[in-house]
Amino acid sequence: MEYILKNGIVYDPINEINGEKKDVMFKDGKIVNSVSDDAKVIDVTDKLVMPAGIDVHCHLAGPKLCVGRLYRPEDERRGVKPKTDITRPETGFSIPNCPATGYRFSKMGYGTVVEAAVPPLEAKHTHEEIIAIPNIDIPPLTLFGNNWFILQFAKEGRIEDIAAFVSAWLKITKGYGVKIVNPCGSEAWGWGMNVHGIDDPAPYWDVTAREVIRALAQANEMLGLPHSIHIHPNDLGHPGNFPTTVNTIDCMKDIKKNSEYRNQTIHLTHAQFHCYDGTSWRDVTSGVEPVADYINKHDHVTMDMGQVTLDETTTMTADGPMEYDLYELTGLKWANKDIELETASGLVPFIYSGRNPVHSLQWAIGLELALMIEDPWKVCLTTDSPNAGPFIRYPRVMSWLMSYQRRAEMMDNKEVHAWAGRKSALGTLDREYDFYDIATITRAGPSKIYGFEDRGHLGAGAIADIAVYDLEPNNFDPTRNAAEVEKAFSNALYTIKDGQILVKDGEIVKVVSSKHVRTEVEGFEDEEKRILEEIMPFFNRYYTVKFENYVVHDHYAEPSSVYKVNASK
Amino acid sequence: MKQITLTPIKFSSIALEFDELIPDEIYGWSKEDFEKYEVPVGNSRFPLTDYYDIEVEGEAQSPEEVKMIIDGDAGRVKYIGCKMDAGEIVVNGDADLHAGAEMEGGSLTVNGNAESYCGREMKGGEITIKGNVREYAGTSYIGEWRGMSGGKLTIHGNAGKQLADAMSGGEIHVMGNCDILAGIHMTKGFIQIDGDVTRWPGGQMKNGAIVINGRLERLLEGFELDAIVTDPEVEGRQFTGKYIKYTGDIGVNGKGTLLLNAEKNRHHL
Amino acid sequence: MAYEPPVTDYDKIVENCTCAFCGSNCDDVDILVKDNHVVGVRHACRLGASKIMEDEDQRLTVPMIRDENGELVEVDWDTALDKAAELIAGAVRPVFYGWSETSIEAMKPGLELTELVGAVIDNQATICHGPTVQAVQNVGYPLMTLGEVKNRADMVVYTGSNPMNAHPRHLARYTTFPKGFFRKRGRFDRTLVTWDPKYSDTAKLSDIWVPFEENGDYAFCNAIRAVLKGKELKQDVISGIPKEDIVALTEKMKNTQFGALFFGLGLTHTLSKQRNIDIAIQLVQDLNKYTKWVLLPMRGHFNVNGFNIFMSYEMGFPYGVDFSRGYPRYMIGETTTIDLLNRKECDVFMVIAADPGAHFPGGALAHLADIPVIQIDIHWGPSTELADVVLPGTFIGVETAGTSYRMDSVPIFMKKAIDPPETCREDEWIVNELLKRVTKLKEASK
Repeated sequence: MEYILKNGIVYDPINEINGEKKDVMFKDGKIVNSVSDDAKVIDVTDKLVMPAGIDVHCHLAGPKLCVGRLYRPEDERRGVKPKTDITRPETGFSIPNCPATGYRFSKMGYGTVVEAAVPPLEAKHTHEEIIAIPNIDIPPLTLFGNNWFILQFAKEGRIEDIAAFVSAWLKITKGYGVKIVNPCGSEAWGWGMNVHGIDDPAPYWDVTAREVIRALAQANEMLGLPHSIHIHPNDLGHPGNFPTTVNTIDCMKDIKKNSEYRNQTIHLTHAQFHCYDGTSWRDVTSGVEPVADYINKHDHVTMDMGQVTLDETTTMTADGPMEYDLYELTGLKWANKDIELETASGLVPFIYSGRNPVHSLQWAIGLELALMIEDPWKVCLTTDSPNAGPFIRYPRVMSWLMSYQRRAEMMDNKEVHAWAGRKSALGTLDREYDFYDIATITRAGPSKIYGFEDRGHLGAGAIADIAVYDLEPNNFDPTRNAAEVEKAFSNALYTIKDGQILVKDGEIVKVVSSKHVRTEVEGFEDEEKRILEEIMPFFNRYYTVKFENYVVHDHYAEPSSVYKVNASK
Repeated sequence: MKQITLTPIKFSSIALEFDELIPDEIYGWSKEDFEKYEVPVGNSRFPLTDYYDIEVEGEAQSPEEVKMIIDGDAGRVKYIGCKMDAGEIVVNGDADLHAGAEMEGGSLTVNGNAESYCGREMKGGEITIKGNVREYAGTSYIGEWRGMSGGKLTIHGNAGKQLADAMSGGEIHVMGNCDILAGIHMTKGFIQIDGDVTRWPGGQMKNGAIVINGRLERLLEGFELDAIVTDPEVEGRQFTGKYIKYTGDIGVNGKGTLLLNAEKNRHHL
Repeated sequence: MAYEPPVTDYDKIVENCTCAFCGSNCDDVDILVKDNHVVGVRHACRLGASKIMEDEDQRLTVPMIRDENGELVEVDWDTALDKAAELIAGAVRPVFYGWSETSIEAMKPGLELTELVGAVIDNQATICHGPTVQAVQNVGYPLMTLGEVKNRADMVVYTGSNPMNAHPRHLARYTTFPKGFFRKRGRFDRTLVTWDPKYSDTAKLSDIWVPFEENGDYAFCNAIRAVLKGKELKQDVISGIPKEDIVALTEKMKNTQFGALFFGLGLTHTLSKQRNIDIAIQLVQDLNKYTKWVLLPMRGHFNVNGFNIFMSYEMGFPYGVDFSRGYPRYMIGETTTIDLLNRKECDVFMVIAADPGAHFPGGALAHLADIPVIQIDIHWGPSTELADVVLPGTFIGVETAGTSYRMDSVPIFMKKAIDPPETCREDEWIVNELLKRVTKLKEASK
């Protein structure tokens, strides 16, 4: 089937198209340069056209989510919608059921959403949920930062063996890339402890976060994986944590990247939680400036925001000790889930409120980051969903970034506490994102950062993942109309996925299976085999499942989209 | 005033659901509207006229002007008065699950017993149950730590287990006896029980007050004896006589107040 | 126990099968096969081995329908499926119950059918660990995978459960006896504690036995929490335990390096039900201020947890989910099976991979006798006596592969060792057929 999306105003930063009126053509699910006269015309004259959105960091499928859904019926009840002729019933606000997750992303014009944390032992569960989520492609990131094998090899400086292990485990878990969460800290949580800073060794293993991060990054580049290491640094959410954040990025600066497409060797995730100055919640202030300054001066790093949206939500992370701290702070129900030999994790419901000084400062810090980092290609829009807010708020975050007036209004009329203005520089930042910038932080940048050469742009050969919004960029001022920006980005006029129209006029009109997007390294099989043979006795002794039953079988990952990587040592 | 009278003519063992038949929704309905209405029953909807003779008298310009009477047993009618904000509902018989749940205003009177979840998550208004209530009266939704937050629930008879879980406001008065764990996880609000209580009122309570005028069998270790007080005032209410005053549940660093009638609870001293 | 010579006469060994009995989901079971029959089972406990070995006893092999004389008579698959589909399509308050002994793959079409007809879908949690789920929803869920306990735990507490009888390999494989990475001497490196009114086989093995009185669980946990907060206990004996013992135990629990609490139906089904779990969870949360503590419910069937997980990710609620109004509702006491049966609301009951005939209370069974019952199962059992349509399924983990979730939520792909009997059909196929046929009936009646 051939289509022409006619006369839209197109923003496609990868191809340097900045608001040009042009047609977008696609055929058999791919973008093409020309179509025949039989092509079906979709008239989108003067409407805003972008590649479909890519979310670089979201918690949407897997064991943590499921604990959240299981233990928060009061959240599930908030989003209940009956079935329709096309869609299944929906539940949930911050942790929607799988069908609602797919529908809601699709309605916002998103096509690809990264699941940010997969414990290998329960990777099958993540893939089962991906099967249950419709309409978006999902690359899962596999957790490595507290894996016992990695801790041991990092201690011993065995980079090639780590590369072999990562290569094998990405296949075993059907994962896309390397995620590191509170390296050494989540292992310490196995004993109810934590580590602080990147040079505080994990108990027993006597290896530091610095060593683990560097080793995994070197292995990542040895393999030439499409994405860099993706890191949630130590000390999340602690006042005074910004030096840890800078140190984490800085310890990477000598590591050479091995990728044509991406620029970075480290992706710093939900940076908002990692940019606090001060010594306690009483004297906390924004620590954005030194972090933004570092990022402005160095090109080996990219980040995403982790923007606080001031909602009641559910926090969930593999950073187990952080969640217990949060439980002690709020007293709200605490769930924990430690995974043998691999990671910890925890959950606590959280109510972010504009009346609360700290939450308001967090809100300001996320925006400050996006406004103080000069190059939008280094910035991605996230809420670390659902941690700082549910993903359905992305359009609202866009509206904040696009309007100085709206931000000032929120600070002036007390929608946020005075701390937002007093303890951050947000009030002084009059930068406003335009549609090209928004397309960069939600499409083009994520495509580069993840090595998704086939998506995030509208050049010939890309998959036809396209979003059209009911805004006319030439007749509309987003700096003055925040509410309309939010509304339009929340309800796409069209969402097209692989050339199929899934959303029309803000409603789901078609439901398709999501693809499991994953990486397979080729040319490293001997090393993988060697390392598997070496570790198997240890595996059999200390895991509680057999290796044969540990592996994610093919039938959990259909349909798949596989990025093949040639290991170039 | 508009008076709507529903007189039962047929019993359905599969419960009818009355959440749509609250004054806020029906104040403008004529007799014909009721006769056209199909009520949810299981996975279907059937005409309301299959189950009730319907009488409508008078006119209403707003929900406040509505009085709906279910003139008979409603022991298989769920969600009576659920989420109602104004007006009056009277049940001349028993009421099924969720009577007055999430109610925000107006009044509901049940001249019989009420099943479980009566007054669940009540926010305002008044519920009067002339008979007994089963479990979870005035409770929260499962998982929700913010339970009943306002209004008044009066139970002339006895109350079942786990009254007022996670109560965070409002008032409950049980004139009869009460089963275990009244006021569990309570954070605010006031419970008065005139009859006897089996065990463990106020388990894991953080704040609020419970007054027991009858005999309490077992008290939890989480409650610390403060003093014997005479004619205490609790949450703006005056009580006469001697009471044993405890604070708890210290397991959750609770500052809740538990008052036991001293005369009837000497065995705790 | 008489000596049984090892089985030597077999064609092949299928290694690393997963035992389809309890929630331990031991995945190291070797099945010995000869002529497509199981002739031996290695590594499994006696419960698991006998389930796998003696599977062919009382096996349901052909579809049946109860005739007008009240006798079950053999029919072909089409007839049985059409009859079942007709009952489901015509029901006003259908309940689809069971699912805990089948695969996730079979639950998927089951949920689709539930959504299609507006049924209630529920599993055995409704009669076992439902209170646990409620407590978790109220106060939280600090858990771990079993390997964490194996590798780290120096104190293991069982309460309200007797794993030596009900989960026989639990201590041996996961918690107490195995040599863990940080517990190289296995049993010798751990303190085993049982809190139980009964001197159970697990209590007999324990270093410490705390025999609190029946229904004393809530007050006992409340007292430990009070001690943790520094309170001096007033009563000399609490729930039957001297206060000095409670204080000493609390000290021990504070001074472990890694403690794990496992609890069973003895806690969920005494007087204060979910509140026992509620306070036990809070106790574990308190203990984390001092050291590491985790807990885990001892789930019974091998996929009872799987159903709760499956329903949570698909529809946001774990069990007892009612689709009668087109959207999911979850309300204990209203949308749960026993209540619907006791109240005589349910008008068609489908049971898959469960035996309500053996486990439900009398009132519920009395109602089941009055309404049409469809049974999908592999064995003749008390539920078959109640059934009007019988659809013979296959044995997950032996005859059919599929996914299950262990009690600690570790997903396991259970492989097959032999082919199913020719006349039986896989659960997934049966439910899919019902879905197709009910869809057709619904469309025809539009």
